[in-house]
Amino acid sequence: MSGLLPLLRQRMRRDWKQLLIWTIGTGLFAYASYSAVSQSYGELQERQALLVTVMANPVILLFRGLPSGAEQGQLMVFLMFPWLAMLAAFMSTFLAVRHTRMDEEQGRAELVSATPAGRTTPVVATVIHGLIANFVLAALTTLGFLASGLEMTEANVAGAKVVGFAVGAVGVAFLGIGLIAGQIMRTSRGANALAVWILVATFVICGIGNALGTPSDDLQRMESSWLTWLSPFGWGENTRAYADDNLWPGVLALVFGLVLAGIAIVLQSVRDLGEGFIPERRGRAEAGPLLSTPTGLVWRLTWGAILGWTIGGLLTGMLSTSLASVVDQVSGDNPAIVDILEKIGGSNGSLQQATVSVFFLMLGIFAACAAVQIVIRARQEEAHGTAEPVLSAAVGRVRWLVDYLVVAFVAMVLVVVAGVVGATLGLASVDGGSELMETIVVTAAGQLVAASVFLVLTALVFVLAPRATIALGWTLIAVGAIFGLFGPLFGFPDWMASLSPLEAAPKVTTDGVQLNGLWWLIAVVLVGGAGAITLMRRRELVTGG
Amino acid sequence: MATVIHTKGLVKRYGKVRALDGLDLEVEAGQIHGFLGPNGAGKSTTIRVLLGLARPTSGEATVFGGDPWRDAVSLHRRIASVPGDVSLWPNLSGGEAIDLLARLRGAPRRDAAYKAEKERLMHEFQFDPRKKGRAYSKGNRQKVALISALSVPADLYIFDEPTSGLDPLMEVVFRAEIDRLRAAGATVLLSSHILSEVELLCDRVSIIRAGKIVETGTLAELRHLTRTEVSFDATTVPDAIAGAHDVIVSEGRARFTVDSDAVNGILPVLAQRDVQGLRIEPPSLEELFLRHYGDDLAALDASTGSATGAGRPATRAGRSATGAGR
Repeated sequence: MSGLLPLLRQRMRRDWKQLLIWTIGTGLFAYASYSAVSQSYGELQERQALLVTVMANPVILLFRGLPSGAEQGQLMVFLMFPWLAMLAAFMSTFLAVRHTRMDEEQGRAELVSATPAGRTTPVVATVIHGLIANFVLAALTTLGFLASGLEMTEANVAGAKVVGFAVGAVGVAFLGIGLIAGQIMRTSRGANALAVWILVATFVICGIGNALGTPSDDLQRMESSWLTWLSPFGWGENTRAYADDNLWPGVLALVFGLVLAGIAIVLQSVRDLGEGFIPERRGRAEAGPLLSTPTGLVWRLTWGAILGWTIGGLLTGMLSTSLASVVDQVSGDNPAIVDILEKIGGSNGSLQQATVSVFFLMLGIFAACAAVQIVIRARQEEAHGTAEPVLSAAVGRVRWLVDYLVVAFVAMVLVVVAGVVGATLGLASVDGGSELMETIVVTAAGQLVAASVFLVLTALVFVLAPRATIALGWTLIAVGAIFGLFGPLFGFPDWMASLSPLEAAPKVTTDGVQLNGLWWLIAVVLVGGAGAITLMRRRELVTGG
Repeated sequence: MATVIHTKGLVKRYGKVRALDGLDLEVEAGQIHGFLGPNGAGKSTTIRVLLGLARPTSGEATVFGGDPWRDAVSLHRRIASVPGDVSLWPNLSGGEAIDLLARLRGAPRRDAAYKAEKERLMHEFQFDPRKKGRAYSKGNRQKVALISALSVPADLYIFDEPTSGLDPLMEVVFRAEIDRLRAAGATVLLSSHILSEVELLCDRVSIIRAGKIVETGTLAELRHLTRTEVSFDATTVPDAIAGAHDVIVSEGRARFTVDSDAVNGILPVLAQRDVQGLRIEPPSLEELFLRHYGDDLAALDASTGSATGAGRPATRAGRSATGAGR
């Protein structure tokens, strides 16, 4: 294991800023959950009422955690845990791929492996690096909960420790998943895509599993169904911090991650550096008709990602309407839930509308992700030097950028349309759901406009500060998503929440269509788009990261 | 003769660094123009300006009389270029990349002439088009750029260190292609730091240093600027010879230099003395080059303590020689 320490130091040196932001961000997010709970649900009765409502409409559990009780700490964990775990998971998969497959792909691993460090030491160093990062993240999460203003009772301190441990354990599980993805896929892009797909799929599986679970008689606690146990997120949630403080599901996640990391080390030791496990197919000797225009090239480079987001949109749409009916059947057996639903009364329709709105907010985020990823692809083409031969041929700078923007817009339309199609398919399984169509179409169109804002803002960043494109593009979406998904919960003032295009988009309530900030959004898209295209005329090629 | 490339006082700054510092470059139609300089002298920056990929800070640059920044698209229809460091799309095969780039430059999709030319070049360069971009070595990536550039006829070819990464056999193929372009009357700007390549291929040379052209002319013209080295067998310092500079004796040979246009003048003297093992070496491009970079070398020697450049004509031949040319 010679060279382990230098490799570890190199990893920390390369990542420390990024990891600092990521772990402190997670800690602050945990800290903020207290004010969310104390502002929105200060009274015990309010918290109990919230949980009862949730049990009545468990679809919400897709966006929240596993209810364990109405105590403040328990509710904080219920509201925030999945998202804290998701931050740890994203941090870990990206970290794993960055230091394994990406290094191999870009030839850096060859330099290192030619030294006495050999082929497996870099992976071992990455595992240790990932474990340290997750430990820091877990510690800061615990600190966040400790500092949040909960009473410093023994139980609360133990709860804070358990929640930190669980978040870190989910992170380690995804460190293993990221490492395996890096072994299987030949490119870092492919490895990241695979890891993110697994992440989102297991997140949703965990949520569906919780929604299909068995509520306790007092409607304050939910027992996960077996589905939840297929997901590392489910393991993390079943530690039930502040309630049961049950460590073994967390240990399961930890062991799972370490076993996968071990397998990754073995795989690395038996394969050739830079190769995958599926032999490379030979390419075409000649280009097909698609590769005759710069637009065709952009499509060729991005269609895989577009397909992925579109399938995501379709599934989101299907869940938004069909899951409601499944949940209806489950909860229909429980007299207490029927009672609640009746209390909410005629607003059953509006509950469904609200459900569609929440899911379509996710759809808007997916569409924005697809678009931003394509603009980021333009930046990657520029930085890696593959834009240069295209721009040295008879392709203008403006035309080149517009191609990416057009394909990005098409991608957003595909994602949103897939969402509408999915929602319509889901409705087919529900009786008399046709009145929801207006909500579906209007909300989808609104989210398309909202996602376009992310597209033009990222395009502007690309033109004005190319080196910041990747970081700022994803940050914009993250901020928009947090405002959209948590703004109401955290009690942000309205003006602040409506800064997020996703929140400012038109919605449908029982009072009819609310346009909200539609005209503002359209204005931003038009001005931003025109600005980006105009400024591109004066923009030079900026190579290098 | 029509001017193809013209720059005057071209300046390109990146922050505080002046990558180009008043560059004056002229390339006439039909020339194979060598663009010489070590790494970092500004060769690639110049090419990026000429291709409209970078905007000059000040000064003028025209290609075919047009502005390379504003008229990039129309100019690029007449230009074929090969960048110094070729990047390929990892998931596109080499054949796909060649076709794509050729089509972007205007090759019709089902053009028999283009296909035939591409096949010929792939055969000459022994290129396998079916591998994916990420699987190619540096030399093979270079071949992708070369084949796509050479397979569609152009009026101007811009090559940025085109043979870096190519093996010697492929360098020969490349030289044959340049000869073909010369015969077709095309203009070529060939940037390189490989002096022998430029010496073999180019009819005019511009030497760039720290963002400025320090010397330009035909090889014959430039040769007159430096001295010819003369050496013969001798064990002791010979009697003075008129016109000889820096006479030394080492390893059984006497060496000195003479101004290149004064070589004929010393021949009778040498004949009279019946010297043995006479060798007269005209200045190579390397010496021309060292003339401008000799002080860098001297500084390098001073810092490393070696004697690499000691006694080379590079530092001896002063600029005063310029006036002595024919």
